[in-house]
Amino acid sequence: MRFAHLSLLVVALAACGSKPRAPKILHVDIRAMAYSPDALAVSVGDTVEWTNDDLVPHSVTSSTFDSKAIAPHQTWSYVAKTPGDFAYGCTFHTMMVAAIVVR
Amino acid sequence: MRTSIVLVLSSAALLALAPSCNKKKAPDTTAGSAGSAVAETGSAAAAPTPPPAPPPAAAGPTDAQIAAIVVAANQVDIDAGNLAVKKTKNPEVKKFAELMITDHTAVNKGAVELVTKLKVTPEETDASKGLVSGGNDNRAKLEKLDGAAFDKAYVANEVAYHKAVINVLTTQLIPSAQNAELESMLVGVKPAFDAHLEHAEHLQATLEGGGSAAGSGHKM
Repeated sequence: MRFAHLSLLVVALAACGSKPRAPKILHVDIRAMAYSPDALAVSVGDTVEWTNDDLVPHSVTSSTFDSKAIAPHQTWSYVAKTPGDFAYGCTFHTMMVAAIVVR
Repeated sequence: MRTSIVLVLSSAALLALAPSCNKKKAPDTTAGSAGSAVAETGSAAAAPTPPPAPPPAAAGPTDAQIAAIVVAANQVDIDAGNLAVKKTKNPEVKKFAELMITDHTAVNKGAVELVTKLKVTPEETDASKGLVSGGNDNRAKLEKLDGAAFDKAYVANEVAYHKAVINVLTTQLIPSAQNAELESMLVGVKPAFDAHLEHAEHLQATLEGGGSAAGSGHKM
């Protein structure tokens, strides 16, 4: 009986196609007044970490998330929750723009 | 315009470094080794004529002097920014001035932390003293202006000042830095100064073009 249940579970998992994907941590460097990479595709559940490698403060600000000021050598992270395209930028230096795409 | 000249003059304190700031990192290779080889082969019957003194090396600022210049250059812009925040009624000029305060304060903090770590004590020079006195003169001139005249003078100075600082940073301070971390910091800060210059030039064009920015100080 137990084997029957196990067999059903295996069959059910196989029917799903693949194992659940483990969330990833992805990094964006803020250096020389730019985000690198300036475009990043992530999946729901992934964490994006921004590290400010400049000597001046920056922010990671979009319509749905806002780091506020990230001091030099500090990191701010965001867990992607909702699919969509999210353009973001620095509120201090408005020429700095980038985007993440959450799938 | 007059204020602009004042700040350009204070920038001259930076530019005064120019004659003495040729790159000094290049190792003293060919001349030294070749010279000693000649001395060995020709030493037997040579008259005891002392060798001519080498020409004085073109010395750039030391790391300690660079540190003082960097701190002074940032402080001058912080002080000007504080004055602008106090005087301007133009929100775009105020926003720019606040950014100058924030960024140059952060750069100075990083510079002081680095030289402390490196055990380098900033050493004042004529250039760093000239920057400070030029900054004082500039603020004295700006204090007498109001409204749009103040805004234009302040922003024009920011354009001129950042151009001068970037020039000195690129052609003199970075090539003269001996410590790799100090050099890296100087290289790393340049993009921020470039962005400041671009921002100031954009603001200047807006002000000169009649100022679309709200509250740009139309009256004196």
